Amino acid sequence: MSSVVHLANNYIYIASFTLFLIGFSILLLNSNLIKKIIGMNIMDTSVFLLFISQGYIKGRKAPILEGGGSVNPAEYVNPVPSALILTGIVVAVSVTAFLLALTVKLYNLYGTVDMDEIIEIRRSVDGNS
Amino acid sequence: MIEDNDIILKQAARVLTPFILIYGIYITFHGHLTPGGGFSGGTVIASSLILNRISSGNRGSGPEIDRMMGIASIALVCYGLIKAMGTFFPDFTHRVLPRGIPGDLLSGGAILPLNIAVGFVVACVMYIFFCLIGEEA
Amino acid sequence: MKRITVGLLLGAMLVVLLSTVSEMPQFGSPSNPTHNYVSSRYVGKSALETGAVNVVTGIILDYRAFDTFGEATVIFVAALAVVSVLARGGLSGD
Repeated sequence: MSSVVHLANNYIYIASFTLFLIGFSILLLNSNLIKKIIGMNIMDTSVFLLFISQGYIKGRKAPILEGGGSVNPAEYVNPVPSALILTGIVVAVSVTAFLLALTVKLYNLYGTVDMDEIIEIRRSVDGNS
Repeated sequence: MIEDNDIILKQAARVLTPFILIYGIYITFHGHLTPGGGFSGGTVIASSLILNRISSGNRGSGPEIDRMMGIASIALVCYGLIKAMGTFFPDFTHRVLPRGIPGDLLSGGAILPLNIAVGFVVACVMYIFFCLIGEEA
Repeated sequence: MKRITVGLLLGAMLVVLLSTVSEMPQFGSPSNPTHNYVSSRYVGKSALETGAVNVVTGIILDYRAFDTFGEATVIFVAALAVVSVLARGGLSGD
C-alpha cells in the first residue's frame, strides 16, 4: 500500500516513463520513417520532462526574481536543470531537421517513405543486376 | 502554389504577420526580464516569416536561402565577438554595456545583444529548415 | 506476432522502470540532492553579478555563455547539413 502511495506522489516519473515507452513502441512498430521520427521526438520529450522535474520544489515560485536588493534563495525553484536542458532541446531540433532532410532525399530517390518498401525495391534491384 | 483568388487567406495572413513578428521581437528583447529569450523569440519570428511565405505563394528559394545563411553567419560571429570582448576586456565591456538596475529593459550587460544575436541565428535557421524540407520534396 | 512481442518487451521495461521509482528522490521535496549550494548561489547572486532578473537567462547567457555559443553553432551546422543534403542550385549554385 505504501508503495502505491509513493508512486502516486511521484506521478512525474510515471508520466515520463509512459512517454518514453510510447515513443519507443512507435519507433519499433512502424515502418514509416516520418512516424519513426515522431516517436524519437516523443522519447526526447520524456527525457526533458524527467530532467526538468528534478528542479521543481513544491510551493515555490519560478526563478524570476522580484523586488531587487536582497534575494532569498529559499523562495525559488532550482534554475539549473532548466538552463542545462536547453542544450538538449536545441540538439533534438537539429537532429530532427537532419533526419527530415534525409527522409526527403529518400523520398526523391524511391518514391516512398516506408522502410519495408524501400528494402523491397533495393532487393529487387540487386536481384536484377 | 496559392491561386490569385485566395483573397481571404492572403488578407488574414497580411493582418496577422506583423503582430506575430512584434511578439517575437518582444520575447527576444525581454529575455532577461520574463521567460523567453533568443531561442523562443527566434522561433516565433521564424513562424511569422514562414506564414508570410506560404500565404504569398511559392517563390524560388535560392537567393533567399543565400541571404538567410549570410545573416545567420554574421549573427553567430557577432555573438562570438561580443562574448570574447566580455571575457578578455571586462572593464571596457562594463563601461560600454553597463549592468544597470535589475528589472530595466536596458540592463544586464551583454545579455541583451547576445539574446538578439541568438534570435537572428535561430530565426534564419528555422526559415531555412522550412524552405528546404517543406518545398524540396 | 510482432505486436505481442513488442508489447511484452515494453511491459517488462515498464515494470523495471517503475521498480526504480522507490530509489529515486521524492518529487518536489526541498531536501533532494539536486538542491545544493549551486542553485542557491545562482539564485542569490545572479541579480547582482549579471543584472538579469530572469535567473535562467542569467545562467545560459552570462555564466555559461560559451555553452550557448556551442548551441548556436550546433543549430547552424544542422542548417548547413540540411542545405548540403537538399539544396538544388541553392547557395550560389547557379
